[in-house]
Amino acid sequence: MNRHHTWAAAAAAALVLSLAACGGSASPPSTQQTAASEVFTYDTTAPVMVDGWDPATEYSDGIIAMSEMYETLTRYDPATHAVGPLLATSWTSADAGRTWTFHLRHGVVFHTGRPMTAQAARAAILRTIKLGGGAAYIWGAVKTIGTPDPYTLVFHLSYASPLALQASADYSAYIYDTQAGGGSALATWLNAGHDAGTGPYTAQTWNKGQEFEVTLKEFPQYWGGWSGPHYGKVVYRVVPQDTTAAQLLRSGQVTFVEQINPSLWSSFKGDSGVTLVSSPSWQNLLGQLNVKRLSLPLRQAISYAIDYQGIIAALQGAGVVSSGIVPPGLFGHFGDLPGYSYDKAKAAALLGQAGYGPGRKPLSLSLTYTQGDSNEQVVATIIKSDLAALNVNLSVQSLAWPTQWAKGKSSDAAQHQDIFMEYWWPDYADPYSWFTNLLQTENPPYFNLSYYSNASLDRMINQVEPLVATDKPAAGQLYRNMQVTILQQAPMLFLYNANYQYAMLSGISGFRVNPAYPNVVFVYSLKP
Amino acid sequence: MTALPAPAAPPPVPAPRRLAPLRRAVRASPLITAGGAIALLIVLAALAAPLLAPYPADAGSATHPEIALHAPSLRHLFGTDQVGRDVFSRVLYGARVSPLVALFVLLIACAVGIPLGVAAGYFGGVLDEIIMRVTDVFLAFPPLLLALAFATVLPASLTSLTIAIAITWWPWYTRLVRGQAASVAGRPYVEACRALGIQRWRILLRHVLPNSVTPVIVQVSLDVGGVILTASALSFLGLGAQDPTPDWGLMVAEGENYFTTQWWLVTYPGLAILLTALAFNLLGDGLRDVLDPRWVPGVRER
Repeated sequence: MNRHHTWAAAAAAALVLSLAACGGSASPPSTQQTAASEVFTYDTTAPVMVDGWDPATEYSDGIIAMSEMYETLTRYDPATHAVGPLLATSWTSADAGRTWTFHLRHGVVFHTGRPMTAQAARAAILRTIKLGGGAAYIWGAVKTIGTPDPYTLVFHLSYASPLALQASADYSAYIYDTQAGGGSALATWLNAGHDAGTGPYTAQTWNKGQEFEVTLKEFPQYWGGWSGPHYGKVVYRVVPQDTTAAQLLRSGQVTFVEQINPSLWSSFKGDSGVTLVSSPSWQNLLGQLNVKRLSLPLRQAISYAIDYQGIIAALQGAGVVSSGIVPPGLFGHFGDLPGYSYDKAKAAALLGQAGYGPGRKPLSLSLTYTQGDSNEQVVATIIKSDLAALNVNLSVQSLAWPTQWAKGKSSDAAQHQDIFMEYWWPDYADPYSWFTNLLQTENPPYFNLSYYSNASLDRMINQVEPLVATDKPAAGQLYRNMQVTILQQAPMLFLYNANYQYAMLSGISGFRVNPAYPNVVFVYSLKP
Repeated sequence: MTALPAPAAPPPVPAPRRLAPLRRAVRASPLITAGGAIALLIVLAALAAPLLAPYPADAGSATHPEIALHAPSLRHLFGTDQVGRDVFSRVLYGARVSPLVALFVLLIACAVGIPLGVAAGYFGGVLDEIIMRVTDVFLAFPPLLLALAFATVLPASLTSLTIAIAITWWPWYTRLVRGQAASVAGRPYVEACRALGIQRWRILLRHVLPNSVTPVIVQVSLDVGGVILTASALSFLGLGAQDPTPDWGLMVAEGENYFTTQWWLVTYPGLAILLTALAFNLLGDGLRDVLDPRWVPGVRER
């Protein structure tokens, strides 16, 4: 480039920089040539759609696509607040929740062509337990699995557990063909972009890191059949820019947009071509406070220093104030817990106890959040602002999730942040996941990135799972006590409970938000 | 100066004589006047930002979420951003960020590039070869790409951004000055200095350096716009300033997802980048013309 003649280029580049905000997208591939009425295009702003194809270990957004390819024994129904049949048509429990018998659906075939029998389901669950990844802890009580006949599974548990509920989990509960992949290792075969489920759709293409990342096609032998109107193809399209996603929906190039900022979402109001869906979720944004560095008064001070109502105002409908760790609508939620609200004076007094605060020495803290999430960015900016008013200098770092997580769980404590911001949601319709993953003693740390350890809380966590199976009111009371303990000890900030704000093309019926399966659409149930 | 008459090359032009063509240029070229005026306005805005900004705290860590995303009004001339900060105040304070980055980048580039260029041009030989080959390695990459690579490995901050861009910028000055220095080094008055036994460092500092840097003045003025654009591009990618620094590139990046619904978040900082880059480039272009001995007012060669 001739740098002596750059003024015109400079002006053009500045314009380009401004216009870059408009985003852009590649030309659609041939999948878009199919009739629009048959193709359901799911638009996500997440950086990747599927980062692991093994149904035993996937523990992230991959379930959005996997839930179309794989099925579980039961499925949670938000209308009845109970689990309903899926691969299992009925089930019973005996021996005070220590023995569970599931009767399997007949005529179900894996995408590999093999029949789904009790032996195959047993093999899948045993493999998931053996690998121990994802949410494999849901099978933690299982001692043995019997198969008295080809369509009956009998679980013998070492302690009472709500197995029918756990079998509906969004992670590690999928039933798959362990014989898939021929002679090669199953994990290797799966991670090449294959699937071995029983769901209505099967993997057709996987373009890792590409905009059109995953394409699924209908599985002709699906047990539910294909009579009536159904989508024949599902395309997962990764569009990081909210504005581009909104434009794609306006022009009918995508069917469903998973997440756009509240302002853009509201801009569709009055647009007859687009249906807006807003619904409470079981997903909350948390800030895990590093208890190794922050004393109790400091943790409580930070909890009081944050303008929670301000966060809700800035989110413009995308969130509501939290009460404890469990979101509303989920068993274990209590709206009257003694939580924290914005109280600058209390925060200053608590900081003062530790020798910090206005007029004293400054306190420097670090916060990490996941890059690309505009809501997390807004919250981080508000927290920084609130803490700055109390002479606390917060260094905010936005990192790609793998980097953020690696830093948080690093064996080198010097790498650890003071506040780790992340979303959490349950693995099945119960709050157990928050406690066992985020708050139970862990060494080395994995998801407990507060590095919190409380023997009394650990005991309560161990007690609650059997109680859910045998004495639900007692389990509810225990969840309440656990939350009161957490609020007193303040190892984490409860920043807000997320509201789902979806936008989809009008004229599609059958869509129901199921908060037990975050952002999953269940395309088979839709009528185009 | 003890320069002897040099019929082969024009003698160094004394400074006072430059003012006359400059005045002529300003009269003859409205673009130069406009560029200078805008640049002056930007500098004044940067200096007077605390007086002009209606909400100076919004350029720092203050947020007002209850008034997030308000459209431009008399209360907030450029509207408010996603956490309720006054965009006008932040754009004004932004004039203290990007131009300052440009200033530091060019200072570093000159501090490194000019001495190396003078040394390479004056001494020639192996030293010249080594310096120029290293320079060629850096020049082989597009500046933005190289700066992007350096900025990626450094922690995201304004300091890292400045260093990353400066690393890519100095070779241009080395190459530019080297040619001039080589030309000056062969002139009779420099040879006369050598013959008189004047020390090398004195010849370099008193004679070669002052007579080699004239093109650098033009280059610096042209590069201000280029550096601002590069810095803004890197900040846009999250590799430069971090919130709440009111950096224009960062403001454009943060407003990206609101572009179609809250246009003011992107438009005003984008316009600030455009105007600043344009102003300094017009100014540099004009200066180049003025300092070019072949330049005749009203006749512009391209």
